[in-house]
Amino acid sequence: MKTPFPIRFWRWFEQTSLGRSVFRVGVPRSNLSRAQAMVSSFLLHLQPAKVQRRTLKASTTFGLGLISLFLFAILIITGVLLMFYYVPSTERAYNAMKDLEYVVSAGLLIRNMHRWSAHLMVACVMLHMCRVFYTGAYKRPREFNWLLGIGLFLVTLGLSFTGYLLPWDQLAFWAITVGANIASYAPLIGPKLKYLLLGGNVVGQEALIRFYALHVILLPAVAGLMIAVHIWRVRKDGGLARPDEAADIVEQIDAGQLPTNKSYGLMELARGTSPQVGVNQEDLVFSWPDLLFRELLVFLAVLALVLSLAIFWNAPLEQFANPIHPPNPAKAPWYFLGLQELVSYSAFWGGVVVPGLLVAVLALVPYLDRSRAGVGQWFARERTVANTIFSVLLFVMVVLTIIGTYFRGPNWSWQVPWKETPTLQEGP
Amino acid sequence: MPETPRKYYGLFIFLGVLVCALVVLGYYKDQFRDWKTYQRRFVKEELKRATTPQQRLLAESTPVQIRQIVLPELNRVDRCTTCHIASEDPSYGGYPQPLAYHPHHEQHPFDKFGCTVCHRGQGRATTTEAAHGHVPHWDEPMLPLRYIQASCGQCHQATDNPAAPELARGERVFETTGCRGCHKLGGTGGVIGPVLDTVGARRSPEWLKKHFTDPASVTPGSGMPPQKLNAADLEAITLFMLSQTGPSLPGYYASMKVIPSAAEGRRLFEQKGCIGCHTVNGQGGKIGPVLDDVGLRRSPDWIMRHFRDPQSVTPGSVMPKFGFTESQTRALTEFLLHLRDQQVALSLPGLITPVERGREVFRKYGCAGCHGPEGSGGVPNPNAKTAEQVPNLQHVADGYTLEELKALILRGQREIAPLDPHRPPPPLYMPPWRGTIQEGELNDLAAFVMSLKKKDEALDF
Repeated sequence: MKTPFPIRFWRWFEQTSLGRSVFRVGVPRSNLSRAQAMVSSFLLHLQPAKVQRRTLKASTTFGLGLISLFLFAILIITGVLLMFYYVPSTERAYNAMKDLEYVVSAGLLIRNMHRWSAHLMVACVMLHMCRVFYTGAYKRPREFNWLLGIGLFLVTLGLSFTGYLLPWDQLAFWAITVGANIASYAPLIGPKLKYLLLGGNVVGQEALIRFYALHVILLPAVAGLMIAVHIWRVRKDGGLARPDEAADIVEQIDAGQLPTNKSYGLMELARGTSPQVGVNQEDLVFSWPDLLFRELLVFLAVLALVLSLAIFWNAPLEQFANPIHPPNPAKAPWYFLGLQELVSYSAFWGGVVVPGLLVAVLALVPYLDRSRAGVGQWFARERTVANTIFSVLLFVMVVLTIIGTYFRGPNWSWQVPWKETPTLQEGP
Repeated sequence: MPETPRKYYGLFIFLGVLVCALVVLGYYKDQFRDWKTYQRRFVKEELKRATTPQQRLLAESTPVQIRQIVLPELNRVDRCTTCHIASEDPSYGGYPQPLAYHPHHEQHPFDKFGCTVCHRGQGRATTTEAAHGHVPHWDEPMLPLRYIQASCGQCHQATDNPAAPELARGERVFETTGCRGCHKLGGTGGVIGPVLDTVGARRSPEWLKKHFTDPASVTPGSGMPPQKLNAADLEAITLFMLSQTGPSLPGYYASMKVIPSAAEGRRLFEQKGCIGCHTVNGQGGKIGPVLDDVGLRRSPDWIMRHFRDPQSVTPGSVMPKFGFTESQTRALTEFLLHLRDQQVALSLPGLITPVERGREVFRKYGCAGCHGPEGSGGVPNPNAKTAEQVPNLQHVADGYTLEELKALILRGQREIAPLDPHRPPPPLYMPPWRGTIQEGELNDLAAFVMSLKKKDEALDF
């Protein structure tokens, strides 16, 4: 069979000086070039040349971090497209939404993709964190990467929250009003924090421009940088956590302990947690192509899911923001509804103490829980206590969120979703 | 490659095909729009009519595209003509929608007014349901055509416009039914019910009609008495309420040339120096007649003819022909009628009696809404000790002195004695009129109320 033209063209291109200067290594045809392909590419370099065979198994991680990354990529691309039409002005933002829906080619589709990807990303980041906890993958030497993960979780919430305001409809305006009020319950700095966030005491043009700048520049840049470090650290910390890795850990060489009257090669100083150290070579596979191919599959699946959601379900757009006509109840975005439910009991405890403690405890987990038992195993028997505590907290937050979403009616009073509560009629 | 089983390649092909299919589906859903069908139908119709090659060429080159009227001052973009593409072509009169011609739009050219400013709906939308406003989260659905005259009231005085007789009728019903007794409109009225200035933008015709005939059915606990209106009056007052949409249009649309209002008349009156010859409110020249009461002496028609050609109605008049435009003439006439209505009639002693002026005050503040026409009573006020009705006013003269009556009107009476203390208190009460009613008005009103006592009624204790 004759080799198809695209492949012949590619092989020729690889040989040209332009091709060689860009790609260095062509399509790998040997194990050496497979490793070189990973090492020589900036993006692929974030991942190791070889990974544990178990990394390829879906049940090891369910690819949740990877899915979050792909959603982030979709968000960047659709977000930039939306920026060509969006104007962060209280007078024009809402009209831009309408124009996207009614006259811009594929405008509604792109906005829908952006909206659903954002919700999915928040959910996937949460699930990713649960996975890491339940497999004990935050333990030494991955403590800092867990911290980075907590940071990324907060940045993701920040991205979603700042984006929520931009359509400038009733949903946006009142969700942000509620959210900003929750922030103002912080002791001492609360009101100042709210003022800083909104650029005033109420949600208005200043708040919109602040949220816009945060949403399109600052937070994506921070998130992108943190994601890069996060992925790079996965590799530097020895790949995915695995049950038998305890034996491989070689303590970081303390440069202060070394004699200084000799010179050292890089290998002598490098930290001993790369997958090559003390690992049975039989368990390793080349990232190219096995890992990359699976990643491609995950990407296609994510894209298909987001496209399906975007085609069949439209992103909500309510009435133009009206500061004197609050919906009853005014609800925050779904991922803050657990907090809003807590706030309805006590603003200080629910809005400040509980979420503050939760984040603090989560951040401290790898420093409190120092045992090395159960790393890389789902629901390890040795970790029953930690897993139970985590599960109970998770369960409470999920229940609170469900209550806040479905069981709260006008004035935050109890209602059942399948029965319509008579709402108060205002006068003519 | 043993690490990647064959089924993964199958999955790759499946997912690849799925993504491609979804992209095609998304593109198709985005590109297939009803308005394109309508525009092609229009082109087909044009081709059918074309008789010359030039006409054919013109029809064929009609682009299928979004058409819109951009109205920056109104913050509106009306894309209605994307579907209603022949709305300005009289040869499409009587065609089925959306290709029908829009008659009678000469006074309000589309490129200056658009469509939604009168018809409401969602101008930016390009699908039928959304554009007509029958979708969730859009508060301005299209106004049913039978209420379209309500839109005239956004700019024009109800009585201004001979083209909107229903609107004028609605205003008459509003003023004679006594709605102002409880409701404020344009700053005048009682405080028992809500202010009505923006009611037309917030309520549907169906809601309003229900509200008139059975208020409690749409507003639970409403103390408003059900209104006994005949069908035509009910439609008219509904239409008038729909015309109350709040602040009038900005910029060009509010410019006085467009709306022949009393305010524009006043501006013209000052600008043209009318006061050099005529006296108003005791100021001005003595060459021409005093104008405070001209509205009482002359008909609006006479005044208009006088502006067009003074000598035609007053032979030998020295007043020059000013060459006012038609709308300026109307504005000035409005101003003179306004002088009559608002100030002059009530402060010109001897012209009409205090009782007659008091009747006008009674009407102006909507007292009839609760006390009945001419104070005849009969308006229900559940659980009021006074036979569960608002008291009629025919015996006021027996129980009150003039001064007591005036004090009561100013003070109001918030607490109404209940028939049964266990039932909810009576919903209607007498609002305080202090600060609203003027002193002259109060004197006249009191005189009128005192006069309601039937003269021939024998007092038999």
